[in-house]
Amino acid sequence: MWFKRRNIITFLILSLFIFISMRLTEFDLSKFRDFRNMIDFLSQWFPMDFSKLPNMLEDSLETLSMAFLGSFLGLLIALPISFVAAWNTSPSKYLYHFSRFALSFVRSIPEIVFGLVLLTALGLGPFPAVLAIMFHNVGVLGKLISELIESADPGPQEAMKAVGAKNWFAYLFSILPQIWPNVLSHYFYRFEVAIRTSLVLGFIGGGGIGQRLFNDFKTFQYSSVSLDVLIIMVIVIVVDLYGSYVRKKVI
Amino acid sequence: MLEIKNLSVRYRGGHENALSGINLTFEKGEFVCILGKSGAGKSTFIRCINGLQKPNQGQVSWNGESVSNMTEKQLLKIRREMGMIFQHFNLIPRLSVLQNVLTGMFGYRSTYKNLIGWFSPEEVNRAKQVIEDVGLTEQIGRRVEHLSGGQKQRVGIARALLQQPKLLLGDEPVSSLDPGTSNHIFTLLQEMHNRHQLLTVINVHDVDLARRFATRIIALKDGKIVFDGSPELFNEIEFDHTYHNAIKNKQHSYT
Repeated sequence: MWFKRRNIITFLILSLFIFISMRLTEFDLSKFRDFRNMIDFLSQWFPMDFSKLPNMLEDSLETLSMAFLGSFLGLLIALPISFVAAWNTSPSKYLYHFSRFALSFVRSIPEIVFGLVLLTALGLGPFPAVLAIMFHNVGVLGKLISELIESADPGPQEAMKAVGAKNWFAYLFSILPQIWPNVLSHYFYRFEVAIRTSLVLGFIGGGGIGQRLFNDFKTFQYSSVSLDVLIIMVIVIVVDLYGSYVRKKVI
Repeated sequence: MLEIKNLSVRYRGGHENALSGINLTFEKGEFVCILGKSGAGKSTFIRCINGLQKPNQGQVSWNGESVSNMTEKQLLKIRREMGMIFQHFNLIPRLSVLQNVLTGMFGYRSTYKNLIGWFSPEEVNRAKQVIEDVGLTEQIGRRVEHLSGGQKQRVGIARALLQQPKLLLGDEPVSSLDPGTSNHIFTLLQEMHNRHQLLTVINVHDVDLARRFATRIIALKDGKIVFDGSPELFNEIEFDHTYHNAIKNKQHSYT
């Protein structure tokens, strides 16, 4: 009564997918027999070693700067592009299609690939990491903001045309206030993601607390690793809290 | 003042004309209400006048100039002489009453000045005067989304008046308001119409409002004019003809 043939087939196909994926990922719970090793390993993380705290804080400031600069520059570049990449405000059909394509092209390249290429070209350090984050965020924010523009209420746009304002100005002036809270909300999410990305970029030589974490790990200084991890968690949580505070203030 | 010749509009993908072969002339001082069922072409007609909608055929002439053949730049100059108010008010959200009203001046200023938002004290005073005229002085600093429907439409009217229009267009300005508020809005519109000696062309659903305020009623049905005359002449028969499909064999000389 409740299950039709289609449900049963779906169930069988899903089971098959789960089975195949488990085989391919060597998914094996019996490996937890050696769980004690994990506890031994983690016990080396404590007590935390606070001796390098000032350097760590300096590095986390670098990470925050990387994430902020990368995502904010991304937002600044994405904003004008997204008006071109929205069908209702684009100056021409060709530009619309071209910018759409360019955005999805940029978006399809992971930050780590940008990072690897730029690090080789520009040398080690946070600058190439900032650029890598920026490029990817232009792609992501450009798409998200252009979708916001497309779903904006057309009424105010019409009213601004009716008072005799130029087309582009009518769009800008009537759409931006409408979408602003959502733009901020997207931005803060991307900022948060950028912090996590900058950690990974640190692993490949992009600097910041990510690079320190990687180095401490590779040199078996687990009591420092634990403090690195704690600092990273605090940063992510603080940024998240601050982001939701700003969003509330704006809406 | 405003002349419409053989105006026809067909929307892309539409099977029938939204408007077909409309011929009308309007003079300064007329308060015109356009009646008709939903889909009769009222909205399309209003939007053709200020060029928000391009006609497929025919033309709209404003003081002898053809609106329909204008370049975008010429159109901006014409539009600022035509104030427009809307059913859903179409205010800019998150901006205050004063900020919204000031946008009515955009057509007269350089885009650069509009962008940075610099207004001279005289310009601000003029906006404040208009806000006082529509009775919103106490709400002047409030964000528009916190206002009631009637207050929002007053902001819309103030914005249109700040354009110093010669023509006031209304696309169902009271259709989302309750009867009492609609009455207030129409009273205000009539007052402003008389004070500034405008030509006013408004779409309405409410026949009683049209009868009470209009100096001329035009009824549209299926994109054609089925009545054009003074409100006293718009009787029950005309009403039935405009709003019901049942009476089909009635002779008419208007079309």
